[in-house]
Amino acid sequence: MSADLDLTALDDEGRAALERLIVTLADSKRLLGIRYSDWMLGAPSLETGISTSSMAQDEWGHARLLYAMLKDLGKDPMPMEHDRPASEYASIAPLDEEMPDWAALVAVMVLADGAITVMLRSFADGTFASARSRVPKMLAEEDFHSSLGAAWYRRLAGSEGEALELLSGATRAMLPELLAWVGADDAAMKRLVSAGVIGSAQERLTSFRDDMRELLALIDLDVDSATASDVWDGARGRTTGQPAEEAVARARGDLNRALLVE
Amino acid sequence: MNEIVYEVFARKDRGGPLTHIGYIDAFDDETAKVYAWKAYDEEKWFEMCVVQRDAVIPVIDGEGLFAQLKRARS
Repeated sequence: MSADLDLTALDDEGRAALERLIVTLADSKRLLGIRYSDWMLGAPSLETGISTSSMAQDEWGHARLLYAMLKDLGKDPMPMEHDRPASEYASIAPLDEEMPDWAALVAVMVLADGAITVMLRSFADGTFASARSRVPKMLAEEDFHSSLGAAWYRRLAGSEGEALELLSGATRAMLPELLAWVGADDAAMKRLVSAGVIGSAQERLTSFRDDMRELLALIDLDVDSATASDVWDGARGRTTGQPAEEAVARARGDLNRALLVE
Repeated sequence: MNEIVYEVFARKDRGGPLTHIGYIDAFDDETAKVYAWKAYDEEKWFEMCVVQRDAVIPVIDGEGLFAQLKRARS
């Protein structure tokens, strides 16, 4: 195992790159929790609703742990969690809007949650001590999300008609932006790769494609020939766009601001 | 949806009793495991298992839950 990253040895650009990575992971977890929570009462069965509720709680817990890593960089996580406008959120693009149907949520479970897991796996294997110590428990909880997503994906992919069409449409819509995020290789990511904080873009993409290949083949989609989106926002470390204002108001806890306890 | 009923069993501690804690509906073993874990997460379980209800063979043909369920199915 490589030695822990010496944060005092990181220059300003390196610290900014690490902050960007932590924030995009934390924001994605928080928005993913909101998207799961949207289906607590509309899922196809009671058991599925309970599972999405539990998964929403998992994601919010993970987000909390990730935001807290900002303290290592001397940053206060509170304003990041509760005071930013939607335009500053760095969550992955497929979570920007509410899922229109269950098939889209299943695609999110497999592809978006899966992409975040790939990034976290690589982060946990890197040199940043907080990621090495805190992320493995998150990944253990993610095993259940992955199992549920894969089971539902197989089920919908094996159906005919509308369910298959919706699943295929949602998958094809979100894949290019996820490939861009997982395979990000701009100056900030290169800096983190060279510091050993995270694996190379090629390693991350290979891991993501390996995880997705079998399931996406069920809808006749070859993940190895799919291309990434090229609309990249380097300031936030995600593709362009922003999450819906309504979702960010929930993420910030606007309605309960007077009751906020830290 | 063609769902299968799974009975859920769990024990709190090593060596403790394996207790029937409820049931869930799922469409296969994999989803049954997830649903059971997520639905019955009120305890920090040491062990949890799911068994298809149809696979449970009552030994006593009395008023027990599984005997009643088996009679209701037949």
